[in-house]
Amino acid sequence: MSKRIELDAGLAKAAVWSGIALIVAMIIAQGFLMHFIPPPSPSLSAQELAQRFIDRRDQIRLGCLIQCIFWSFWATWGIAITLFIRKMERSYPILTYSSIALVGGGYVFFILIPMTWAVIAFRPESLDPSIMQIMNDWVWFDFLFTWPPFALWMVVIGLAIIKDHNVPTLYPRWVAYLNFWCAILIFPAGLIAFFRDGLFAYNGVGAFWIPFAIFFGWMITMSVVTLQTINRQKERLATVEEPVLSGS
Amino acid sequence: MTTLVPLLRTPATAVWAVLIAATVVSWMLGTQHGFNSYTLASVVILLIAFIKVRLVGLYFMELRDAPTVLRGLFEAYCIIVCSVVVGVFLLA
Amino acid sequence: MSAITEAAPETLKKKVPGEEGVWIFILGDISVFAVFFTYYLVQRSKQVDLFVASQATLNKNFGAINTVFLLISSLFIVLAVRAMRAAQQMLAQRFIVGAFLCGIAFIIVKVFEYHEKIAAGEIPTTNSFYLLYFVLTGLHLFHLVIGLAVLTALWFLARRPEVSTNQWAFFEGGACFWHMVDLLWLVLFPLIFLVR
Repeated sequence: MSKRIELDAGLAKAAVWSGIALIVAMIIAQGFLMHFIPPPSPSLSAQELAQRFIDRRDQIRLGCLIQCIFWSFWATWGIAITLFIRKMERSYPILTYSSIALVGGGYVFFILIPMTWAVIAFRPESLDPSIMQIMNDWVWFDFLFTWPPFALWMVVIGLAIIKDHNVPTLYPRWVAYLNFWCAILIFPAGLIAFFRDGLFAYNGVGAFWIPFAIFFGWMITMSVVTLQTINRQKERLATVEEPVLSGS
Repeated sequence: MTTLVPLLRTPATAVWAVLIAATVVSWMLGTQHGFNSYTLASVVILLIAFIKVRLVGLYFMELRDAPTVLRGLFEAYCIIVCSVVVGVFLLA
Repeated sequence: MSAITEAAPETLKKKVPGEEGVWIFILGDISVFAVFFTYYLVQRSKQVDLFVASQATLNKNFGAINTVFLLISSLFIVLAVRAMRAAQQMLAQRFIVGAFLCGIAFIIVKVFEYHEKIAAGEIPTTNSFYLLYFVLTGLHLFHLVIGLAVLTALWFLARRPEVSTNQWAFFEGGACFWHMVDLLWLVLFPLIFLVR
């Protein structure tokens, strides 16, 4: 006898939408409230940078509170995709477990960003500007320089789709290639360690704007195709009995 | 060895020989064995480069037999990028 | 032995090399590089003399040799695909290894080239020419290293007794990715090394 495994499409879709909420909140909090999209230039003096924290102290504190809440949804969003990686794999779920590890690690980096800004904005008037500068640099490195695990996760997703044993595949195959491409495209974020101005500084077009646009564009695209996949999977399960999978 | 010859019997092999020759020509032009004007030599070098790009796409990537839309996109790329590159170079 | 026959779809019907998804990747990637080519020339137009003087320190012979290595590797991959279609999988594996070795040769030459520059004190932060030289050739090198990983995957595929439709699509797509690595260098070398 085979046992039917149900898909709670409502919960799965909510998880995907939580990622969209994350992006909207980021634009409001980091962009409009904190004025940190784009980043302040790394070639600002410590004093000028400190002044920015002093001037927008309250907006930064509020924006950070909002961001700490909404960055948490990285976990739920990432797990929605992981759910389907599990269904694309057969037998020992190495790609699934890699996905869980990479998603879980990811939101730690994200939450440290607003947390650190909030710490800087806690007593900006009395804090040494050069300490504030290091902490601010640290945040931007946390945001950008930590690109590799995210690129790796994109590769894991791509691999899962390429090797998907389902007929038809759960995700369209082009999504795999999109993931491989985006993994390469966010690489320039790693160049911020070498430049304090220009194209590859952490406020530059090459190292900030392009990886930023690619990453969140990728999140939106993945959200759309994952919602479609949930719908398709729901229909399939309604018509076909799925056998029990070992170790899910 | 007998299995190798039929594999080589494809337009791609002849195209490859053209690409090698074009590389030599470009290298000669670029190291001053050619025109007196650097500008003219450079434009020729760039044009040769994009002809090579097109040949790789059509014969190595097999876009020659691809659906029209795909081949069209690639040909458009070659023409547009070549024009922009030569244009910006000449405007310097 | 049976004669080698061309698969009918190749010559009679229009066929997407690999599969559609591959072309999102390839067309997208070459477009991003096109933006970089243009950016390089725009930067050059602002300081032509600096660019000409700095370009003169580049080793054009290394660049030309590398172009030849990549062209040879691309021919090997064309032959590898043809060999696979003719069910000559052992031969295909050998061609893939040949292409891989050409890629390694490229890297070795590149290492010498970079070493020469760095030893002469010419580094990415020296001026905007060297910045673009190192970043553009570095990005290309990054793609080449990924290409070597792709070739490795193709080699493993060529060892399988049976290749599914999806695996075949990946094989052709991977071959196209390698050709893309070649294609990008065909523009980068003249653009950065020769054009003045």
